[in-house]
Amino acid sequence: MEYDPMIMDTEATGPSVKITEAGSHHVDFELQGVDLAFANSLRRVILAEVPTMAIDLVEFSANTSVLADEFIAHRLGLVPLNSKNVDDVAYSRDCDLCNDRCENCSVTLSLHARCTGDDIMRVYARDLVVDGGRANQWVGSPVITDPEGLGTVICKLRKGQELNVKCIAKKGIAKEHAKWAPTSAVGFEYDPHNKLRHTELWFEEDASKEWPKSKYADWEEPPQEGEPFDYDAVAERFYFEVESVGNLEPDAIIQQGIKLASVIQTVTEGEGGDTNGMNGADDYNNGPRSPDTGMVGSGWQGDAGYTTPGYGGGNTSTWGAGAATPYGATPYGQSHSNGWS
Amino acid sequence: MPPKTKPAEAALPADDVSMNDEPVGDSPSLNDDPHNPARMAFGEQRIRILPGSSDTAASFEFKGEDHTLGNALRYIIMKNPKVEFCGYSIPHPSEDLMNIRIQTWEGTAVEALEKGLDDLSDLCDVVEEKFIEARDEYGTPMEA
Repeated sequence: MEYDPMIMDTEATGPSVKITEAGSHHVDFELQGVDLAFANSLRRVILAEVPTMAIDLVEFSANTSVLADEFIAHRLGLVPLNSKNVDDVAYSRDCDLCNDRCENCSVTLSLHARCTGDDIMRVYARDLVVDGGRANQWVGSPVITDPEGLGTVICKLRKGQELNVKCIAKKGIAKEHAKWAPTSAVGFEYDPHNKLRHTELWFEEDASKEWPKSKYADWEEPPQEGEPFDYDAVAERFYFEVESVGNLEPDAIIQQGIKLASVIQTVTEGEGGDTNGMNGADDYNNGPRSPDTGMVGSGWQGDAGYTTPGYGGGNTSTWGAGAATPYGATPYGQSHSNGWS
Repeated sequence: MPPKTKPAEAALPADDVSMNDEPVGDSPSLNDDPHNPARMAFGEQRIRILPGSSDTAASFEFKGEDHTLGNALRYIIMKNPKVEFCGYSIPHPSEDLMNIRIQTWEGTAVEALEKGLDDLSDLCDVVEEKFIEARDEYGTPMEA
Protein backbone atom coordinates (compact mmCIF):
# COMPACT_ATOMS: atom_id res chain seq x y z
CA MET A 1 0.00 0.00 0.00
CA GLU A 2 2.01 2.88 -1.28
CA TYR A 3 -0.30 5.85 -1.44
CA ASP A 4 0.03 8.74 0.92
CA PRO A 5 -3.36 9.75 2.28
CA MET A 6 -2.19 13.27 2.91
CA ILE A 7 -1.30 14.03 -0.68
CA MET A 8 -4.89 13.55 -1.61
CA ASP A 9 -6.04 16.03 0.98
CA THR A 10 -4.08 19.08 0.03
CA GLU A 11 -1.61 19.26 -2.76
CA ALA A 12 1.42 17.74 -1.10
CA THR A 13 1.49 20.26 1.72
CA GLY A 14 0.17 18.06 4.49
CA PRO A 15 -1.14 19.33 7.77
CA SER A 16 0.20 22.51 9.34
CA VAL A 17 -0.21 24.23 12.67
CA LYS A 18 0.08 27.91 13.41
CA ILE A 19 -0.10 29.21 16.96
CA THR A 20 -1.72 32.61 17.09
CA GLU A 21 -1.76 33.24 20.78
CA ALA A 22 -0.57 31.45 23.87
CA GLY A 23 -0.41 32.04 27.57
CA SER A 24 -0.08 30.05 30.75
CA HIS A 25 -3.68 28.92 30.56
CA HIS A 26 -4.68 29.09 26.95
CA VAL A 27 -3.54 28.47 23.39
CA ASP A 28 -5.19 29.60 20.22
CA PHE A 29 -4.02 27.85 17.11
CA GLU A 30 -4.98 27.21 13.56
CA LEU A 31 -4.89 23.72 12.15
CA GLN A 32 -4.73 23.43 8.41
CA GLY A 33 -4.63 20.66 5.86
CA VAL A 34 -6.58 18.06 7.76
CA ASP A 35 -10.20 17.19 7.28
CA LEU A 36 -13.16 18.01 9.44
CA ALA A 37 -13.44 14.50 10.86
CA PHE A 38 -9.89 14.57 12.15
CA ALA A 39 -10.09 18.12 13.52
CA ASN A 40 -13.29 17.25 15.32
CA SER A 41 -11.72 14.12 16.76
CA LEU A 42 -8.90 16.26 18.09
CA ARG A 43 -11.44 18.57 19.71
CA ARG A 44 -13.30 15.66 21.23
CA VAL A 45 -10.15 14.06 22.62
CA ILE A 46 -8.96 17.33 24.15
CA LEU A 47 -12.36 17.80 25.70
CA ALA A 48 -13.01 14.35 27.10
CA GLU A 49 -10.16 11.90 26.80
CA VAL A 50 -7.05 13.58 28.16
CA PRO A 51 -6.25 12.04 31.55
CA THR A 52 -5.93 14.24 34.64
CA MET A 53 -6.09 13.81 38.41
CA ALA A 54 -9.16 14.47 40.52
CA ILE A 55 -10.42 13.50 43.94
CA ASP A 56 -12.46 10.35 43.57
CA LEU A 57 -12.99 9.05 47.11
CA VAL A 58 -13.55 11.05 50.27
CA GLU A 59 -13.55 9.65 53.80
CA PHE A 60 -15.18 11.88 56.37
CA SER A 61 -13.88 11.73 59.93
CA ALA A 62 -15.70 14.86 61.00
CA ASN A 63 -18.14 17.14 59.28
CA THR A 64 -20.08 19.49 61.48
CA SER A 65 -20.39 22.13 58.78
CA VAL A 66 -23.77 23.11 57.38
CA LEU A 67 -23.08 21.20 54.17
CA ALA A 68 -23.86 17.51 53.80
CA ASP A 69 -21.00 15.02 53.37
CA GLU A 70 -21.89 14.19 49.78
CA PHE A 71 -22.18 17.85 48.92
CA ILE A 72 -18.65 18.52 50.14
CA ALA A 73 -17.38 15.33 48.51
CA HIS A 74 -18.75 16.56 45.21
CA ARG A 75 -17.12 19.95 45.65
CA LEU A 76 -13.80 18.31 46.48
CA GLY A 77 -14.05 16.21 43.33
CA LEU A 78 -14.28 19.37 41.25
CA VAL A 79 -11.15 20.98 42.70
CA PRO A 80 -8.57 20.99 39.89
CA LEU A 81 -5.43 19.09 40.83
CA ASN A 82 -2.07 19.46 39.19
CA SER A 83 -1.70 16.69 36.63
CA LYS A 84 1.72 17.41 35.21
CA ASN A 85 3.31 14.21 33.86
CA VAL A 86 0.20 12.28 34.82
CA ASP A 87 1.55 9.45 32.70
CA ASP A 88 3.60 8.48 35.75
CA VAL A 89 0.38 7.61 37.54
CA ALA A 90 -1.35 4.35 36.73
CA TYR A 91 -5.09 4.02 36.38
CA SER A 92 -6.17 2.68 39.73
CA ARG A 93 -8.27 0.00 38.09
CA ASP A 94 -5.35 -1.55 36.26
CA CYS A 95 -2.52 -0.85 38.67
CA ASP A 96 -0.57 -4.07 39.07
CA LEU A 97 1.19 -3.04 42.23
CA CYS A 98 -1.84 -3.16 44.46
CA ASN A 99 -5.29 -4.59 44.86
CA ASP A 100 -7.02 -1.48 46.08
CA ARG A 101 -4.87 1.60 45.67
CA CYS A 102 -1.29 2.62 46.25
CA GLU A 103 1.11 5.49 45.68
CA ASN A 104 1.57 4.37 42.10
CA CYS A 105 -2.08 4.91 41.23
CA SER A 106 -3.47 7.45 43.69
CA VAL A 107 -2.61 10.53 45.71
CA THR A 108 -3.91 11.02 49.24
CA LEU A 109 -4.86 14.51 50.33
CA SER A 110 -6.07 15.42 53.76
CA LEU A 111 -7.99 18.42 54.93
CA HIS A 112 -8.53 19.30 58.55
CA ALA A 113 -10.10 22.62 59.51
CA ARG A 114 -11.83 23.77 62.65
CA CYS A 115 -13.21 27.22 63.25
CA THR A 116 -12.31 28.60 66.62
CA GLY A 117 -12.71 32.32 66.08
CA ASP A 118 -15.90 34.33 66.05
CA ASP A 119 -15.60 35.11 62.36
CA ILE A 120 -16.78 32.78 59.67
CA MET A 121 -13.88 30.76 58.39
CA ARG A 122 -13.41 29.76 54.78
CA VAL A 123 -11.81 26.48 53.85
CA TYR A 124 -9.80 26.80 50.65
CA ALA A 125 -8.23 24.38 48.21
CA ARG A 126 -4.82 25.35 49.58
CA ASP A 127 -5.81 23.63 52.83
CA LEU A 128 -5.67 20.28 51.06
CA VAL A 129 -2.36 18.73 51.99
CA VAL A 130 -0.76 15.89 50.11
CA ASP A 131 -0.08 12.96 52.42
CA GLY A 132 2.48 10.27 51.77
CA GLY A 133 4.14 9.46 48.50
CA ARG A 134 3.02 10.08 44.96
CA ALA A 135 4.14 9.12 41.51
CA ASN A 136 5.93 12.42 40.88
CA GLN A 137 6.43 15.74 42.58
CA TRP A 138 3.57 17.58 40.87
CA VAL A 139 0.71 15.24 40.60
CA GLY A 140 -2.20 15.81 42.98
CA SER A 141 -1.39 19.26 44.36
CA PRO A 142 -4.37 21.59 44.24
CA VAL A 143 -4.19 24.14 41.42
CA ILE A 144 -3.90 27.61 42.86
CA THR A 145 -3.73 30.50 40.45
CA ASP A 146 -5.17 33.47 42.33
CA PRO A 147 -2.65 36.08 43.54
CA GLU A 148 -3.51 35.44 47.20
CA GLY A 149 -2.68 31.77 46.79
CA LEU A 150 -5.91 30.52 48.29
CA GLY A 151 -7.52 28.46 45.57
CA THR A 152 -11.22 27.68 45.40
CA VAL A 153 -13.47 27.84 48.45
CA ILE A 154 -14.55 24.38 49.55
CA CYS A 155 -16.86 25.38 52.40
CA LYS A 156 -17.39 27.88 55.19
CA LEU A 157 -17.25 27.07 58.91
CA ARG A 158 -18.78 28.87 61.87
CA LYS A 159 -17.35 28.84 65.37
CA GLY A 160 -17.06 25.28 66.66
CA GLN A 161 -17.63 23.62 63.31
CA GLU A 162 -15.08 21.21 61.98
CA LEU A 163 -14.21 19.46 58.77
CA ASN A 164 -11.80 16.55 58.72
CA VAL A 165 -11.56 14.52 55.54
CA LYS A 166 -9.18 12.23 53.73
CA CYS A 167 -9.39 12.39 49.95
CA ILE A 168 -8.10 9.87 47.44
CA ALA A 169 -7.29 11.41 44.07
CA LYS A 170 -7.11 9.14 41.06
CA LYS A 171 -6.34 9.42 37.39
CA GLY A 172 -9.27 9.49 35.03
CA ILE A 173 -10.77 11.02 31.92
CA ALA A 174 -13.66 13.42 31.46
CA LYS A 175 -15.64 10.85 29.50
CA GLU A 176 -16.16 9.14 32.84
CA HIS A 177 -16.77 12.28 34.91
CA ALA A 178 -16.42 15.95 34.02
CA LYS A 179 -14.22 16.57 37.06
CA TRP A 180 -11.37 15.03 35.06
CA ALA A 181 -11.71 17.60 32.29
CA PRO A 182 -8.41 19.31 31.47
CA THR A 183 -10.10 22.24 29.78
CA SER A 184 -12.80 24.65 30.76
CA ALA A 185 -13.59 25.28 27.12
CA VAL A 186 -12.39 24.30 23.69
CA GLY A 187 -13.27 26.76 20.98
CA PHE A 188 -13.60 25.15 17.58
CA GLU A 189 -14.42 27.11 14.50
CA TYR A 190 -14.11 26.86 10.74
CA ASP A 191 -15.47 28.61 7.68
CA PRO A 192 -16.18 32.00 9.30
CA HIS A 193 -18.10 33.23 6.27
CA ASN A 194 -20.32 30.16 6.20
CA LYS A 195 -19.39 29.54 2.59
CA LEU A 196 -19.92 25.84 3.07
CA ARG A 197 -23.38 26.48 4.48
CA HIS A 198 -22.86 24.03 7.30
CA THR A 199 -25.05 26.28 9.36
CA GLU A 200 -28.03 28.40 8.63
CA LEU A 201 -27.77 31.92 9.94
CA TRP A 202 -31.26 32.84 10.99
CA PHE A 203 -32.06 36.50 10.48
CA GLU A 204 -34.81 39.08 10.73
CA GLU A 205 -33.84 41.21 7.76
CA ASP A 206 -30.19 40.88 6.89
CA ALA A 207 -27.94 38.08 8.18
CA SER A 208 -24.72 40.01 7.53
CA LYS A 209 -25.88 42.89 9.73
CA GLU A 210 -27.40 40.86 12.52
CA TRP A 211 -24.68 38.25 13.03
CA PRO A 212 -21.44 39.48 14.58
CA LYS A 213 -18.34 38.76 12.52
CA SER A 214 -16.05 36.09 13.86
CA LYS A 215 -12.56 37.29 14.68
CA TYR A 216 -11.35 34.85 12.07
CA ALA A 217 -13.53 36.38 9.37
CA ASP A 218 -10.68 38.67 8.31
CA TRP A 219 -8.39 35.72 7.81
CA GLU A 220 -10.36 34.20 5.02
CA GLU A 221 -11.57 35.59 1.77
CA PRO A 222 -15.18 36.74 2.07
CA PRO A 223 -17.52 35.39 -0.57
CA GLN A 224 -17.84 37.48 -3.71
CA GLU A 225 -21.10 39.15 -4.49
CA GLY A 226 -23.32 36.62 -6.22
CA GLU A 227 -20.69 33.90 -5.98
CA PRO A 228 -22.17 30.51 -6.87
CA PHE A 229 -22.17 27.85 -4.17
CA ASP A 230 -19.12 25.63 -4.45
CA TYR A 231 -20.41 22.18 -3.68
CA ASP A 232 -16.93 20.64 -3.89
CA ALA A 233 -15.53 22.83 -1.15
CA VAL A 234 -14.48 21.23 2.11
CA ALA A 235 -13.47 22.77 5.42
CA GLU A 236 -9.73 23.27 5.54
CA ARG A 237 -8.79 25.73 8.24
CA PHE A 238 -9.79 25.04 11.81
CA TYR A 239 -9.42 27.54 14.60
CA PHE A 240 -8.96 26.10 18.08
CA GLU A 241 -9.07 28.02 21.32
CA VAL A 242 -8.04 25.77 24.17
CA GLU A 243 -8.55 27.02 27.70
CA SER A 244 -6.86 25.01 30.41
CA VAL A 245 -8.32 24.60 33.89
CA GLY A 246 -4.78 24.82 35.24
CA ASN A 247 -4.12 21.16 35.94
CA LEU A 248 -2.20 20.69 32.69
CA GLU A 249 -0.25 23.13 30.58
CA PRO A 250 -2.21 23.92 27.45
CA ASP A 251 0.44 22.57 25.11
CA ALA A 252 0.53 19.35 27.10
CA ILE A 253 -3.22 19.03 26.69
CA ILE A 254 -2.97 19.33 22.94
CA GLN A 255 -0.04 16.98 22.66
CA GLN A 256 -1.94 14.47 24.72
CA GLY A 257 -4.95 15.17 22.56
CA ILE A 258 -3.16 14.53 19.33
CA LYS A 259 -2.29 11.22 20.90
CA LEU A 260 -5.64 10.26 19.58
CA ALA A 261 -3.03 7.77 18.68
CA SER A 262 -3.32 6.49 22.22
CA VAL A 263 -6.98 5.85 21.59
CA ILE A 264 -6.01 3.92 18.52
CA GLN A 265 -3.37 2.07 20.42
CA THR A 266 -5.71 0.87 23.10
CA VAL A 267 -8.02 -0.34 20.41
CA THR A 268 -5.36 -2.12 18.42
CA GLU A 269 -3.73 -3.73 21.45
CA GLY A 270 -6.48 -6.26 21.69
CA GLU A 271 -6.58 -6.84 18.00
CA GLY A 272 -3.59 -9.11 17.82
CA GLY A 273 -2.92 -8.64 14.14
CA ASP A 274 -5.36 -11.11 12.70
CA THR A 275 -8.94 -12.08 13.04
CA ASN A 276 -8.10 -14.57 15.70
CA GLY A 277 -10.57 -14.11 18.47
CA MET A 278 -12.28 -11.29 16.65
CA ASN A 279 -14.70 -13.83 15.40
CA GLY A 280 -17.51 -14.61 17.67
CA ALA A 281 -19.43 -15.23 14.57
CA ASP A 282 -20.49 -18.75 14.13
CA ASP A 283 -22.31 -19.53 17.31
CA TYR A 284 -23.88 -16.11 17.46
CA ASN A 285 -27.46 -16.07 16.41
CA ASN A 286 -28.78 -12.86 17.87
CA GLY A 287 -27.67 -9.31 18.11
CA PRO A 288 -26.12 -7.09 15.52
CA ARG A 289 -24.69 -8.62 12.41
CA SER A 290 -23.35 -7.55 9.08
CA PRO A 291 -25.94 -7.34 6.39
CA ASP A 292 -25.84 -10.41 4.18
CA THR A 293 -24.28 -9.38 0.92
CA GLY A 294 -26.79 -11.26 -1.18
CA MET A 295 -29.60 -9.99 1.01
CA VAL A 296 -30.99 -13.51 1.05
CA GLY A 297 -32.20 -14.57 4.43
CA SER A 298 -29.77 -17.26 5.42
CA GLY A 299 -32.08 -18.50 8.07
CA TRP A 300 -30.51 -16.90 11.07
CA GLN A 301 -33.92 -16.10 12.34
CA GLY A 302 -34.93 -19.68 11.80
CA ASP A 303 -37.21 -20.14 14.74
CA ALA A 304 -40.82 -19.33 14.36
CA GLY A 305 -42.44 -16.94 16.75
CA TYR A 306 -41.31 -13.70 18.11
CA THR A 307 -37.71 -13.24 19.10
CA THR A 308 -36.58 -9.85 20.17
CA PRO A 309 -33.41 -9.20 18.22
CA GLY A 310 -30.57 -8.83 20.60
CA TYR A 311 -32.57 -9.76 23.65
CA GLY A 312 -34.22 -13.06 23.10
CA GLY A 313 -32.94 -16.50 22.65
CA GLY A 314 -30.70 -16.92 25.56
CA ASN A 315 -28.12 -18.37 23.23
CA THR A 316 -24.50 -18.25 24.06
CA SER A 317 -23.14 -14.94 22.92
CA THR A 318 -19.81 -13.29 23.01
CA TRP A 319 -21.07 -11.38 26.00
CA GLY A 320 -20.44 -14.38 28.15
CA ALA A 321 -22.27 -17.28 29.55
CA GLY A 322 -25.99 -17.25 29.77
CA ALA A 323 -26.88 -13.66 29.34
CA ALA A 324 -27.64 -12.71 25.81
CA THR A 325 -27.76 -9.01 26.54
CA PRO A 326 -24.84 -6.84 27.29
CA TYR A 327 -26.48 -5.97 30.56
CA GLY A 328 -25.56 -9.11 32.39
CA ALA A 329 -28.26 -10.50 34.57
CA THR A 330 -31.54 -9.28 33.19
CA PRO A 331 -34.72 -11.23 33.16
CA TYR A 332 -34.57 -11.39 29.38
CA GLY A 333 -31.39 -13.23 28.75
CA GLN A 334 -30.98 -15.09 31.98
CA SER A 335 -32.99 -18.22 31.49
CA HIS A 336 -32.41 -20.40 28.52
CA SER A 337 -36.08 -21.03 28.06
CA ASN A 338 -37.71 -17.71 28.50
CA GLY A 339 -41.16 -18.11 27.22
CA TRP A 340 -40.76 -15.74 24.33
CA SER A 341 -39.85 -18.13 21.62
CA MET B 1 -74.06 -0.80 38.37
CA PRO B 2 -71.68 -3.48 39.47
CA PRO B 3 -68.07 -2.46 39.89
CA LYS B 4 -66.13 -2.75 36.66
CA THR B 5 -63.40 -4.88 38.11
CA LYS B 6 -62.96 -8.28 36.57
CA PRO B 7 -61.91 -11.35 38.47
CA ALA B 8 -58.15 -11.61 38.64
CA GLU B 9 -57.97 -14.76 36.50
CA ALA B 10 -59.87 -13.19 33.68
CA ALA B 11 -57.27 -10.51 33.35
CA LEU B 12 -54.69 -13.15 32.53
CA PRO B 13 -55.05 -14.45 28.97
CA ALA B 14 -54.03 -18.03 28.55
CA ASP B 15 -51.02 -17.19 26.43
CA ASP B 16 -49.75 -14.53 28.76
CA VAL B 17 -46.21 -14.98 29.88
CA SER B 18 -45.13 -14.85 33.45
CA MET B 19 -41.86 -13.12 33.96
CA ASN B 20 -39.44 -13.84 36.72
CA ASP B 21 -38.10 -11.10 38.88
CA GLU B 22 -34.47 -10.30 38.55
CA PRO B 23 -32.63 -12.67 40.85
CA VAL B 24 -31.85 -11.04 44.15
CA GLY B 25 -28.32 -11.08 45.48
CA ASP B 26 -26.95 -11.87 42.06
CA SER B 27 -26.82 -8.21 41.17
CA PRO B 28 -24.44 -7.27 38.39
CA SER B 29 -21.13 -6.15 39.76
CA LEU B 30 -19.38 -2.98 38.75
CA ASN B 31 -17.52 -4.81 36.03
CA ASP B 32 -20.68 -6.04 34.36
CA ASP B 33 -22.00 -2.55 33.85
CA PRO B 34 -21.34 -1.74 30.21
CA HIS B 35 -21.34 1.96 30.96
CA ASN B 36 -18.51 1.78 33.40
CA PRO B 37 -15.23 2.68 31.74
CA ALA B 38 -13.42 0.70 34.41
CA ARG B 39 -14.82 -2.38 32.76
CA MET B 40 -12.38 -1.89 29.92
CA ALA B 41 -9.47 -2.93 32.08
CA PHE B 42 -6.86 -5.53 31.26
CA GLY B 43 -6.75 -5.28 27.50
CA GLU B 44 -9.92 -7.18 26.86
CA GLN B 45 -10.97 -7.83 23.30
CA ARG B 46 -12.64 -4.64 22.14
CA ILE B 47 -13.11 -5.29 18.46
CA ARG B 48 -15.00 -8.13 16.91
CA ILE B 49 -16.24 -8.91 13.45
CA LEU B 50 -19.98 -9.11 13.33
CA PRO B 51 -21.37 -12.35 12.01
CA GLY B 52 -22.33 -12.53 8.37
CA SER B 53 -19.13 -10.95 7.12
CA SER B 54 -17.08 -12.05 4.18
CA ASP B 55 -13.44 -11.31 3.47
CA THR B 56 -14.09 -8.21 1.45
CA ALA B 57 -17.15 -6.93 3.27
CA ALA B 58 -17.22 -6.88 7.02
CA SER B 59 -18.71 -4.97 9.91
CA PHE B 60 -16.64 -4.43 13.00
CA GLU B 61 -17.98 -3.69 16.43
CA PHE B 62 -15.88 -1.52 18.72
CA LYS B 63 -16.59 -1.50 22.41
CA GLY B 64 -16.11 1.78 24.22
CA GLU B 65 -15.55 3.91 21.15
CA ASP B 66 -17.63 6.73 19.74
CA HIS B 67 -17.58 9.44 17.09
CA THR B 68 -14.09 10.46 18.23
CA LEU B 69 -12.56 7.41 16.62
CA GLY B 70 -15.45 6.49 14.35
CA ASN B 71 -15.60 9.52 12.11
CA ALA B 72 -11.85 10.02 11.79
CA LEU B 73 -11.32 6.34 11.09
CA ARG B 74 -14.15 6.22 8.58
CA TYR B 75 -12.60 9.13 6.73
CA ILE B 76 -9.10 7.70 6.65
CA ILE B 77 -10.31 4.26 5.56
CA MET B 78 -12.31 5.85 2.76
CA LYS B 79 -9.05 7.45 1.56
CA ASN B 80 -7.71 3.99 0.80
CA PRO B 81 -8.23 3.38 -2.94
CA LYS B 82 -8.75 -0.30 -2.30
CA VAL B 83 -11.82 0.45 -0.24
CA GLU B 84 -15.18 0.58 -1.93
CA PHE B 85 -17.19 1.71 1.07
CA CYS B 86 -16.69 2.62 4.69
CA GLY B 87 -19.26 3.92 7.11
CA TYR B 88 -19.76 3.96 10.83
CA SER B 89 -22.69 4.12 13.18
CA ILE B 90 -23.51 4.15 16.83
CA PRO B 91 -26.48 1.80 16.94
CA HIS B 92 -27.84 3.02 20.23
CA PRO B 93 -26.72 5.96 22.38
CA SER B 94 -26.97 4.03 25.62
CA GLU B 95 -24.80 1.17 24.44
CA ASP B 96 -21.12 1.97 24.40
CA LEU B 97 -20.62 0.47 20.97
CA MET B 98 -19.55 1.76 17.58
CA ASN B 99 -19.83 -0.19 14.35
CA ILE B 100 -17.70 0.28 11.26
CA ARG B 101 -18.62 -1.25 7.93
CA ILE B 102 -15.89 -1.81 5.36
CA GLN B 103 -16.26 -3.14 1.84
CA THR B 104 -13.20 -3.44 -0.34
CA TRP B 105 -12.43 -3.72 -4.03
CA GLU B 106 -9.31 -5.73 -3.33
CA GLY B 107 -7.63 -6.93 -0.17
CA THR B 108 -9.59 -7.90 2.88
CA ALA B 109 -11.68 -5.68 5.08
CA VAL B 110 -9.47 -6.53 8.06
CA GLU B 111 -6.41 -5.31 6.18
CA ALA B 112 -8.23 -2.10 5.33
CA LEU B 113 -9.12 -1.58 8.98
CA GLU B 114 -5.56 -2.19 10.10
CA LYS B 115 -4.25 0.15 7.45
CA GLY B 116 -6.79 2.76 8.50
CA LEU B 117 -5.67 2.59 12.11
CA ASP B 118 -2.01 2.82 11.09
CA ASP B 119 -2.67 5.76 8.78
CA LEU B 120 -4.62 7.61 11.44
CA SER B 121 -1.81 6.97 13.90
CA ASP B 122 0.70 8.36 11.42
CA LEU B 123 -1.47 11.41 10.80
CA CYS B 124 -1.58 12.05 14.54
CA ASP B 125 2.20 11.82 14.68
CA VAL B 126 2.55 14.34 11.87
CA VAL B 127 0.13 16.80 13.46
CA GLU B 128 1.86 16.42 16.80
CA GLU B 129 5.22 17.09 15.21
CA LYS B 130 3.83 20.19 13.49
CA PHE B 131 2.31 21.40 16.73
CA ILE B 132 5.56 21.03 18.65
CA GLU B 133 7.36 22.83 15.82
CA ALA B 134 4.85 25.68 15.93
CA ARG B 135 5.05 25.88 19.71
CA ASP B 136 8.83 26.07 19.71
CA GLU B 137 8.65 28.72 17.01
CA TYR B 138 6.15 30.73 19.02
CA GLY B 139 8.81 31.07 21.66
CA THR B 140 7.27 31.93 25.01
CA PRO B 141 7.05 28.68 26.83
CA MET B 142 3.58 27.90 28.07
CA GLU B 143 4.02 27.15 31.70
CA ALA B 144 1.30 26.69 34.21
